[in-house]
Amino acid sequence: MKDRKTQFRYFTIMDYEKEGEYLRQMHKQGWKFTGISGMCFYKFEACEPEDVVYQLDYNEEGISHKEEYVKMFEDCGWEYLMEFVGYSYFRKPVSEMQGNEDGIFCDDNSRWEMLKRVFRGRLIPLILIFCGLVFFSIRAIIDHGIHSVDTIGFLCIVILYLVIFIASGIKALAIKKKISKDI
Amino acid sequence: MDAHIRKVYVPMTETGFYILLCLQEPNHGYGIVQRVEKMTEGEIRLSPGTMYGSLSKMEKDGLITFIREEEKRKIYEITELGREVLRLEFQRIERLYRNAREERHER
Repeated sequence: MKDRKTQFRYFTIMDYEKEGEYLRQMHKQGWKFTGISGMCFYKFEACEPEDVVYQLDYNEEGISHKEEYVKMFEDCGWEYLMEFVGYSYFRKPVSEMQGNEDGIFCDDNSRWEMLKRVFRGRLIPLILIFCGLVFFSIRAIIDHGIHSVDTIGFLCIVILYLVIFIASGIKALAIKKKISKDI
Repeated sequence: MDAHIRKVYVPMTETGFYILLCLQEPNHGYGIVQRVEKMTEGEIRLSPGTMYGSLSKMEKDGLITFIREEEKRKIYEITELGREVLRLEFQRIERLYRNAREERHER
C-alpha cells in the first residue's frame, strides 16, 4: 500500500477555515498532513484514521516571536506544524479537547481580529500590486494599443486579480455574517 | 482614559475580562488559561489563538505590561489604565446583576 500521497488543492486567502476542514477530513480518512509544496500541493502520509482538528492562525507578531507564540499553543495541547505564507498551522485530536474547546479561538471577537489581520497582511499588498497593474495596463494601451501582446497580458492579470478580490470579498462577508449572527 | 480605549474595552469580552482579572497578579498566558478553567469549574477554556491575540492587543493598548520571560512564557501584569478599565467593567456588571435581580423580584 502507498504510504504517501500528494493532492492538488487551491484555497484563496480567506479560505483558512475550509483548508483546516479539508485537512481534518483527510486525517479522518487516515492521511496525516505533512506539508505543502509549490503553493497548492498538499502532502500526506498514511496514519491511523483519527478525528483531529486542524486550524490556521494568521499572526505576524506571533511569527516574529515564534518561540513564545508556539509555546502558548503547545501548553494548550496544540501541535505546531509549520508556517506557510504568514499562516501558522496547528492540530489537536478531538479526544484531547477539554470543556467548551473547539478550536484555537474561543470567541467571535478574536475570530474577527484574525480576519482583520489577514486583510491587512495579505489583501492590502495585493491591492497595491493591483493598482500598479492597472497603471501599467493603461500605459500599455496608450503606448501599444488595445490589441498588443503587452496590453492583453496586463489585462489578463488584472482580470485574474479582480476574480481573487471578488472571491475574497464574498468570503469575508460570509465570515462576517456568520460571526455577527453568533453574537 | 481616551475614547478609543473606552470604545474597545467597555463593555469587554469575557476573555478580556478574565485576562485583566487574573493579571492583577503577574502571570503568563497559559497560567491565565488554567486559572480561568479552575475559577469556572472547567466551563470556560480559553483558546491559545484568542489568548495570544488578546494579550498582544492589550499590551499595545497599555492595559497590561510585559515584566519578564520564564521558560519561553511571557509574564504580564495589569497597569493603572488596565485597573481603571477593570473598575468600569465591575461597575457595569454590578449594575447588570442588580437590575436583573430587581426585575426578577417584581415578577
